[in-house]
Amino acid sequence: MGTDLAYNFVFKVVLIGESGVGKSNLLSRFTKNEFNHDSRTTIGVEFSTRSIQVDNITIKAQIWDTAGLERYRAITSAYYRGAVGALLVYDITKHLTYENVERWLKELYDHADPHIVVMLVGNKSDLGNVRTVPTEEAKDFAEAKGLLFMETSALESTNVESAFLEVLTEIHKKVASKEVTRGSISAVTLGQTLGPTSEFKEERQSCCKS
Amino acid sequence: MMAQLENGRLSDDTMSVRTLGSQFDEESSFGSDSEINGFTSSRQIDKYGFIGGAQKYSEESAQDVPLEVLRHREVKWLDMLNHWDRWVSKRFKKVRLRCQKGIPPSLRGRAWLYLSGGKVKREQNSGKFKELDSMEGDAKWIDVIERDLHRQFPFHEMFVSRGGHGQQDLFRVLKAYTLYRPDEGYCQAQAPIAAVLLMHMPAEDAFWGLVQICEKYLPGYYSAGLEAIQLDGQILNALLKRVSPPAYRHLEKHKIEPILYMTEWFMCAFSRTLPWASVLRVWDMFLCDGVKIIFRVGLVLLKCMLGTREKLKACPGQYETMELLRALEPQYMQEGFLIHQVLELPISARDVEREHRVQLKRWRKTHGELSYKSPPRMHGAQAIMSAEPHSRQDLRQNPTIIVEYPQLSDTKSESTRIKKRSTIRKAPIPLEVPNPYALPTDPKPDPLKNQAQDTSSNNQSSHPPPSLQQSLLTTPEKTPAGKAEPSSDPPTAVIPTPDPSPNLSRIPPPPQTSPTPIPTYPTKLPHSSNPAITAEPLPITKNSGNTNNSAHLKDPPPTTDSTPLLPDDTPVNGNSAAAPRVPGLRNSCESVGSEDTYL
Repeated sequence: MGTDLAYNFVFKVVLIGESGVGKSNLLSRFTKNEFNHDSRTTIGVEFSTRSIQVDNITIKAQIWDTAGLERYRAITSAYYRGAVGALLVYDITKHLTYENVERWLKELYDHADPHIVVMLVGNKSDLGNVRTVPTEEAKDFAEAKGLLFMETSALESTNVESAFLEVLTEIHKKVASKEVTRGSISAVTLGQTLGPTSEFKEERQSCCKS
Repeated sequence: MMAQLENGRLSDDTMSVRTLGSQFDEESSFGSDSEINGFTSSRQIDKYGFIGGAQKYSEESAQDVPLEVLRHREVKWLDMLNHWDRWVSKRFKKVRLRCQKGIPPSLRGRAWLYLSGGKVKREQNSGKFKELDSMEGDAKWIDVIERDLHRQFPFHEMFVSRGGHGQQDLFRVLKAYTLYRPDEGYCQAQAPIAAVLLMHMPAEDAFWGLVQICEKYLPGYYSAGLEAIQLDGQILNALLKRVSPPAYRHLEKHKIEPILYMTEWFMCAFSRTLPWASVLRVWDMFLCDGVKIIFRVGLVLLKCMLGTREKLKACPGQYETMELLRALEPQYMQEGFLIHQVLELPISARDVEREHRVQLKRWRKTHGELSYKSPPRMHGAQAIMSAEPHSRQDLRQNPTIIVEYPQLSDTKSESTRIKKRSTIRKAPIPLEVPNPYALPTDPKPDPLKNQAQDTSSNNQSSHPPPSLQQSLLTTPEKTPAGKAEPSSDPPTAVIPTPDPSPNLSRIPPPPQTSPTPIPTYPTKLPHSSNPAITAEPLPITKNSGNTNNSAHLKDPPPTTDSTPLLPDDTPVNGNSAAAPRVPGLRNSCESVGSEDTYL
C-alpha cells in the first residue's frame, strides 16, 4: 500500500451511471491522473483514493466504481453502504444515458443514505460536436432535483478535479456540524446514529498509519 | 504511468496515458492503437500474446516445461482426444491428473473444447453458429457489446486493435450468444470468458465453449439478477470459515461482503486476476473438474492474504482490507505455488453443493424465492459428458492436414498409409520413422526395438510418427498466442512425409534382427523400413506399478529412433533435469489432494 498522508476524514464517494459513460476514467483521472481509451470493463468493484485539502482539513476521498450495466444493479447494495457522496454520470453524446438518470436516482435513494450528496455529471465534454444533451437542460434538471451539476471531460482532464472537489466540500459542510474530534480519523456517515437502517451507524476506524 | 500513489495497486494491465488534452482519433488504424495506448515498438510481447508485461507474465511467474516433456504430453493428449469417450468414462482420474499438470499449449484449445463438451455441442448443432452469426442481433445488446469490444484484454495483441480480427470474433461470439439465449442476453463478464476462449480456438468453437461455461459450469452467473454469483459468494464465505478462520472473522468484522471482492474473480474465472500462466493452469483444471476449482483458488488467495495475524494487523479497516485483496502478492499467484495449494485444498464438489443447499435456504428466508432458477451445476467434464448423449462421430477429431507416407520399396515392409480420418484402434509405435525435426540433443535412431526389451514399460498412448505428430498439431485453430486466423475451414492438405535427409545424422537401420516375436496387429501401420515393427498394444491398460504420469523420461534412451517420444516413461533415476517438478503431484496414479470421483 502506498504512503498514507495523515487525514482527518474519509469520505466514501460512489460513481454510478450507465455502462460506458466514463466512470472508470473519471476515477483514474482524479486519483491517478490517468486516462485510457481501452480501460477494461468494470466487473465487480473498483476503487481508489486521493487525499485533498478542504478548508485546511485533509480529506481522504475513497472513490468507488462499479459496473454500470443494468444487470449489475442487483449486487450494488453493499456498494452503496456508507457512501456520503455520489457522482451520477451520463455521457453527453448519448442521450439514453441521460434519460436513465432518473432510474439511477431512484436506485441511489433506495440503497444509500438519504442525505447523500449527489452531483450530476455530464462526461465527455470534449466531444461537444456530437453532443445530444444540452447543458442547460441537464442543469435545470439537476437543480430541480437538488443535485449539484458539472460537465467534465476525463479525457482532457476538464473539470474532473472541480467536480470531485465540489462534492467533497459539500459533504464536508454537511459533516462539519457533527461532532468530530480533531485529529481522530473516522469514516463518516451523514445519517444520525439512529438512522433508518442499522447500516448507517457512524464508524470509527483507527488507522494503521496514524 | 504505473504510479502507485496511495492506491497500493499497480495498474499493470491498464497502461494509461497522461494526456494533455489532445484529441485522439477514435477510428485509428490497425497499428496505431498501441501507440495511443502508450506503447512503443519496443514493448515486448510475451509468449501468451500480452504486450509490455501486462497480465503479470514474468520469468518467475511461469513454470517452463522442457520441450521433450511437452512432446511427451502432447502424444498422450492426442491419444486421449482420439478416444475421448473411453478416457472420460473409464479413466477420468488420469484425465484429471493430466489437466492438473497443465495441458500442452498446442492442444489446449482442442482439449478445452473436448473437456467442456463444446465439441459435442458443435457437432450436434452444425450450422447453428453460422446461422446465429448471420443474424442481426438485438440492438440493445449490440450496443453494449460494441462498447465492450475494446475493453477486454486491451493489452493482448489479439484484442488491441479496434476492428481487428480479435475484436470482430469477440463481437460475433457474444452476439451469437444473445441470439442463442435471447432471455439471457449479454452480461459484461461473458466478454473476458469469450476472449480467453478465442485466444485458443476459432469463433465457432469459442461460442460453444462459452455456452458450456455459461450453462453447465457456472449456470446463472451471467443471468439477470446475478443471484447465482451472490449465492456463490455466500458459499465462498462459509467455506472460508473452515479453511481460514482468521480470514473469515476479519471479513465478518469489517462487514466485507463477498460480493465486494469475489465478483470479478468468479465471474471471469480469475482471468483478470492472475498471471497468465496461472490463468491457463486454473482453466485446465476448471474445465476438467468444475467450479470447485474456482472456489479453491479463491480460498487459497484469501487464506494467503488474510490468514495470519501479521497480515491482518496491516488491515485495520474495510478499505485497507479490500485494497489488500486487490493487490494480491505475486508469490501467491505464481503458477507453481498456487496450483500446488489448489490441489492440496480439501474442498470437493460435494462440499460446494452441500453449502449451496445451506445458503439457498438462508437466501430464501431473506430474499424470498429465487427469481431465476438456474439449472443444476455440472462439476466438470465427466459430469457433462455423462449427461449429454453423444455419438462417436461427435467426438471425432477433424484435422485438416492429413499425412500420407511415401511408399518405399522394402521387401518385408507393409506399406501403408496413415489416414487420420480412418479409425485407428491400435496405433503402433513407429520407431523407424525418421524424425525430420530432430533436436540436436536427440539420440540417434537405433533400429533395435525397445518394446521387447522393456518389460516394465507400459504404453498407453499412441505414438504417431513425429511428422504426423507435427501435422496433428497444426490446425487451423488459433495458437495460444492468439494469432487470428480466418474462420473459414482451410482446404484439406496432404503433406508427404519428408524423406530422411542425409544431413540429419541418422544411422540407416541395419538388417532386421527381430528379438522376440510380437504379434502383428491387423491394422494399418505407418510405413516403416523395418519390417518387423510391430504394434504395441494400445488399449488403455492399467499401469503396472509404473509411474506413467510422471514427466520423467527414460535416461539414457534405449532403442528408439531419433524422436524424443518414448513409448515408455519410467522415471529417471534421481533427479532429472528434464523433468519438471510439479509441486504437489506425487509420482503416482492418484491425483493429489482430490477425491476419488469428480465429486
